[in-house]
Amino acid sequence: MTLIGPLVLAAFLFCVGLYGVMARRNAVLVLISVELMLNAVNINLVAFQNLVWTGDADATGQVFALFVIVVAAAEVGVGLAIVFNMFRNRASINIDDADLMRW
Amino acid sequence: MTGFYSQWGTFALLVLFGIGLYALVMLANRIFRVNLPHPEKLTTYECGVDAVGTGWTQMNIRYYVFAFLFVIFDVEAIFLFPWAQILGNLDASSPISPTFVLVEMFIFIGVLALGLIYAWRKKVLEWE
Amino acid sequence: MAIDFGAIAPELVLTATAILVLMVDLVLTDQAKQLANPLSAIGALVALGFTLPLWGDERSTFGGSFVVNDYAVVFKVVFLVSLLAILGISWRYFAESRFFQGEYYFLLLVSFLGMLIMPSARDLLLLFIALETVSLPGFVMAGLRKRDLYSSEAAIKFFLIGVLSVALMLFGISMMYGFTGTTSLSGIAQALGQWGASPPPLLLASLLLIIVGFGFKISAVPFHFWAPDTYAGSPIPVAAMLAVASKTAGFAGLIAVTFIAFEPFAGVWAPALGVLAILTMTLGNLVAMQQRDMVRLLAWSSVAQAGYMLIPFGLAVTGNAEVNEAAVQATIFYIAAYAIPNIGAFGVVVAINRRTGYRSIEDFAGLGGRHPFMAVAMTTFLLSLGGAPPTVGLWAKFAIVQAGAESGTVLAYVLLFFLIVNSVIAFYYYLKVVWVMWMREGREGMAPVTPGVNLSLVTAALVFGTVLLFVLPGLIADTTVSTDLVAGL
Repeated sequence: MTLIGPLVLAAFLFCVGLYGVMARRNAVLVLISVELMLNAVNINLVAFQNLVWTGDADATGQVFALFVIVVAAAEVGVGLAIVFNMFRNRASINIDDADLMRW
Repeated sequence: MTGFYSQWGTFALLVLFGIGLYALVMLANRIFRVNLPHPEKLTTYECGVDAVGTGWTQMNIRYYVFAFLFVIFDVEAIFLFPWAQILGNLDASSPISPTFVLVEMFIFIGVLALGLIYAWRKKVLEWE
Repeated sequence: MAIDFGAIAPELVLTATAILVLMVDLVLTDQAKQLANPLSAIGALVALGFTLPLWGDERSTFGGSFVVNDYAVVFKVVFLVSLLAILGISWRYFAESRFFQGEYYFLLLVSFLGMLIMPSARDLLLLFIALETVSLPGFVMAGLRKRDLYSSEAAIKFFLIGVLSVALMLFGISMMYGFTGTTSLSGIAQALGQWGASPPPLLLASLLLIIVGFGFKISAVPFHFWAPDTYAGSPIPVAAMLAVASKTAGFAGLIAVTFIAFEPFAGVWAPALGVLAILTMTLGNLVAMQQRDMVRLLAWSSVAQAGYMLIPFGLAVTGNAEVNEAAVQATIFYIAAYAIPNIGAFGVVVAINRRTGYRSIEDFAGLGGRHPFMAVAMTTFLLSLGGAPPTVGLWAKFAIVQAGAESGTVLAYVLLFFLIVNSVIAFYYYLKVVWVMWMREGREGMAPVTPGVNLSLVTAALVFGTVLLFVLPGLIADTTVSTDLVAGL
């Protein structure tokens, strides 16, 4: 298998996620976009491990991907709780509504 | 390199075949069926019951806690696979003792179990 | 490769304490929940007891990804002392409002656990895990006042910017792994050294992406948006923790990544960080001048302080170990000298704010008459943040100037010029607060200041530390001089 396929896929996913974070105003969709970015990282890591650094006995790339998955799950858990709390306080999950404080 | 693309070629053929089959069946359907329009037929079919409201409803937030507790233990499991792989290859001559590795994982699971105890004591596991 | 339990003893103690605090909180009810505080303090003291004997040692465990040397020990001591001070200013604040005490102390301890790991980590994986262990409890702590609109806004801003910057950093790490085939910092340094003078642009991009992740943690300028809002919205002891400990942890990670792993490309990141330093201190100070809320003033001042701490990064030169060592030492000295008065300043704000809700600078008017001790303490802390005698802040600025003079490049003199201009601007708003405290009369019928024994003790200790280190700067300087970052790789 060639390296270019996974890398292009990862870069595409990452850009979709980055665009989502910038453009979306719904907090849950922003969270989903961040997850896309993290999954792009996982594709990158696993692809590099399997196609470039096959001699790495510690399987660094794959192990790193496992940790990224775990941390992503933890981030989403905390993030949804924070979004939920914001929804309870102001009945909106639009992040532009979080504008009490400026400067 | 060529192997890679020929594999995708097989996949592309499969997709084309699927599309062709679908088109063929739908075409046959259109040719042979009887055509009797009726306004009743345009309503949403939901097990014979009339559909009420819109497709967007709020879920009960309680599901969140259960879903999240599931995710924690689900994600924990991915650490068990590499651990089991390593533990299986250890023996008495290894630089690190298998017993230690075994105990280590139980400490890890124990910490997660403490989280479950916390959730239980805070009464988030009850559906009142 | 048996695990060196002596080297990770402080972390183990803190973990055990955190779990214990969470479990104790489940058993205790109402008033008794306050016990979580002394319990955490005991844990921190025991961890400190395990840390100090590690001084002078070179230990390495977990296949070289966890290193304990003098550099790590200095940071660990700073973290544990900050933890003790923050516990001191937290007690009454949380006991009186009675919200989620057990959870707060648990989260605080977990966050500090991540910080203890940070200066020892010599692997991008461990650095990433440590960074997340510091951040995730922070997100929750910022939103701890659940019913408060400001608090939930603080949490969501902190969280969104935090996860975005971590995602960027991880993408950088994955590309770096692709280029070098390793995540160990020394391994990366070796692999990067072979690229020589013409590295591919993608490699430089991934290098800068990794720095972004830490830039968020230290609230350097393009990534600082969360800082003022989050500090202002969170409970004040949490703001103190974010401004001091979490920022220090960011610097510990940034030093390890830049000065060890990316050392061969110092020519790329040093000017970039130098420019960031100029932007950070200038913007931080200019905006801080216009603040009327005391917490926001401290928040912007802490952004500006991050700029001062970034100056030595701009001095780094590939292969010039002498200059690099001096730069690292100046940063460490500045961080230690910044932590003490900044926690103290937040402590005084807690004392004023706790029962009354006072937080604007106007509410500090007449403090000299109402509570002279707190006014003297605040004056000392603000003078130290500004860098005036008789406080340790003077030597901190001096250390940076010295490192700059040693480097002697054009960029170094530009940086020092901005340091001096900014120090003058900063004096304007620090002295304004001092003037309000001593010269202005307070409003009629202001509530009395009741700091409580615990907070007074901590504040007194911090004032003592600020002045003592002015008299004897060698207490920090001698230790930082002997810290050899590169050793024990």
